[in-house]
This record gives sequence, structure tokens and C-alpha cells, in this order.
Amino acid sequence: MILAAKCSSRGQAVRAGIVLAGAVLAVAALIAPVPAAAHNPIFTPGPHLVYSGGVEASVSYLRDRASGSGTRKTAQHTELEFEYGLTANWAAKAVLPYLDKDVAGNGSSGPGDLMLGTRYRFLRLDSPGVQRSAAFLVQVKLPTGDDGANPRLGSGSTDFVGGLLYGHESRRWYYNLAARYRFNTEGGGGLKKGDRQFLDLVGGVRPVLTGYRKPDAVLFLELNWENAGRDELNGANVADSGGWELFVSPGIFATYRNVALRTGVQIPVANGLNGNQRETDYRFKFEVKYTF
Amino acid sequence: MMMFARRMALAAGLALLGASAAFANSHVYKLYVDGLACPFCAYGVEKKVGELDGVEKVDIDIDAGVVSVTLKGNASLSEDVARVAVSEAGFSLRKFETPGQGS
Repeated sequence: MILAAKCSSRGQAVRAGIVLAGAVLAVAALIAPVPAAAHNPIFTPGPHLVYSGGVEASVSYLRDRASGSGTRKTAQHTELEFEYGLTANWAAKAVLPYLDKDVAGNGSSGPGDLMLGTRYRFLRLDSPGVQRSAAFLVQVKLPTGDDGANPRLGSGSTDFVGGLLYGHESRRWYYNLAARYRFNTEGGGGLKKGDRQFLDLVGGVRPVLTGYRKPDAVLFLELNWENAGRDELNGANVADSGGWELFVSPGIFATYRNVALRTGVQIPVANGLNGNQRETDYRFKFEVKYTF
Repeated sequence: MMMFARRMALAAGLALLGASAAFANSHVYKLYVDGLACPFCAYGVEKKVGELDGVEKVDIDIDAGVVSVTLKGNASLSEDVARVAVSEAGFSLRKFETPGQGS
């Protein structure tokens, strides 16, 4: 049940973003004084890092579908990700994606854009059974995917992401907040995708408190807001581009010792997309993670 | 009969001595760790503490926030070394108990 609140201007989208950001900060102000962050949610990056000298290797499968104007776009991403703990508070990672896309009957598949990233945890407050932490996130996406394929497998541009992440973890409850900004540069064919902003608010609960060397599960419910500026083609705005989408995303993080399974689905609940665009139907993610 | 009773008493005494010696040499250190909230994260503590010299076994009670470290033979563990290992795992050492302390 999507409330398609079409925004006719960029101003409306920005206002909607400001209202949501205000709501997120208000909720954050309410929950922040309560002492909880080691499990990162499914769609929201968190401040929890792998231990110093440790490696987190993961394989994930993502599927998203969007439709509109009688056409459909489906993308499947299989990603291989490695994160290394440089110190207890600083980690570096690389994500290697393989894409399989279908847009209105045209399909292409192959390696996508390589992403390199780092997170630095600048705040960690530990108390018995509780950890609160905050981290900076910096990522760069390199133009390694084929931007000449139809549909494109890479943007042909070098893009940057900066973000601020907060997490609160206790034996029972989890809260996370994240704010990110993605700077896009001009890619192949003179196309510059609009910059994007992301705001995430997450709550989680561990229904059953289990001990070490026992299976464990945390249920998450995320609120993910994304806004994109208009694309530019050779310096001119593209009318049917940009706008915002809001998702409600239930997910589960199940672990056994150093093995974790994460899965969830992003369900769109509102949007304000400019012009005539496909609207997201859903995004699904499944990930297996191994720490050593 | 008297000889048998003396031998039994001697055997019992030796057994008691052996048991108390074994108890004294149990080498179980207790690390009270803050920030421990989930089993997946606790793996880092097991990994970092388990890499220390002389460590035979690491047990973690997440609810109590206690990491029990059993050492081999005459090996010992200092508070500073334990603190660094816990810190590298991403947590904080609040209290350190050597074998025999707190019992």
C-alpha cells in the first residue's frame, strides 16, 4: 500500500526530508540517554566493527524491483565483502559486486562498481551488558562496472559517501541511527546522477536471551529514507529523475558463534519521486557472514 | 588390621593434599568485561584472549559480563595484558581477578 505523494518540486522533497530528519533526531534525543551496538542492522550501516586483526567475510544476495509506466526493472546483486579490523576502532572494507539486470526486457550481467570503504569509531561507551558507540563512514565507489552495457552495470563515475553512525546495544534492545550523503560525479555519456541523502532509524529486540556458543537472533525494524537530486545530462536537469522514497524494513540477524545470517526486506511506504519514474516495489537482502 | 587402617589414613591424606594442590593450581582468571551484549560480538573476546600465551580455555558468561580464562601449568596473566586483549576485541575491562581472589 504505497502512498504515492508525488512532489512537484524539489522544495517539497527537501521539506519532507527536513521533517523526517527532525522526527529522527527527536526520537534519537529520547532514546540516546538510555544505555545499547554490536549487531549492525540489515540496511542501515552501524558503528560496530570487527575486532583488531579480525576479518569479516560475507556473501550477500540483493534483489530489487521497480515498476511504472508499464515497464519493470529488476536487479540482482551478488556481493562479496571483506572487512579487516585495522585497530579495535578502525576497519577497512572492500565490496565486489556482480550484477544481473533486466530493464523492460533488456538484460545484462557482469561485475559492477568496486566499493572501498572505511569506518572509524570515535566514541565507545561501555557499561555492564551495554555498549553505545558512534563512527564515521567514508566510502568510494570506483567505475569498474561496464557503463556501456544496456542496462548499465556501472555508473562510469567515481562517487563518494560520507556518513555518521550511532548504535546502542544492550542484551535486550537495539537502537541505531545513521545519516549519509553520497556525492556523485559525472559518468559516461555526460550523465551525472543526482547526489543522494540517506537517513535511517532502527529499533531491535532480542526476544530470547541466549548464552555464548548458543544460537542467537535479533529482530530489527528499520525506517529508511532516501532522497536523490535530479540527474544532469550534459549539464541539463533530467525531469524524470530524483525525489525521495521511504521504506519500512523488517529483518533478522541470526548468529551462532562467529557465523551470522542477516536477511530483510525493504517495503516502500511513501515516495515523492519527480516526474514519471518507476517506483520501487521491494528490495530483498540475504547475507552470510563469517568472522575469523 | 591396624596396618591397614594406617595405610588407608595415609592414602586419604595424600588424596586431600593432591586435591588442594590441584585447586590452588586451577589458574582460572576472571575478567569482568563491560560492553558485552551479544554472543556474536563475544567471539572477538574469545579470539583475542585465547591468543595470549598459556591460555588453555576461555569461557564467557554474557549475562554476567564475565570472561573466565584458564591457563596451562605455571602460566600467568597480568591485568595489563588482559586489558589490552579485551580492548583490542572492542570492549572494556572493568575488573580483574586472579585465581583464588573473590572465592
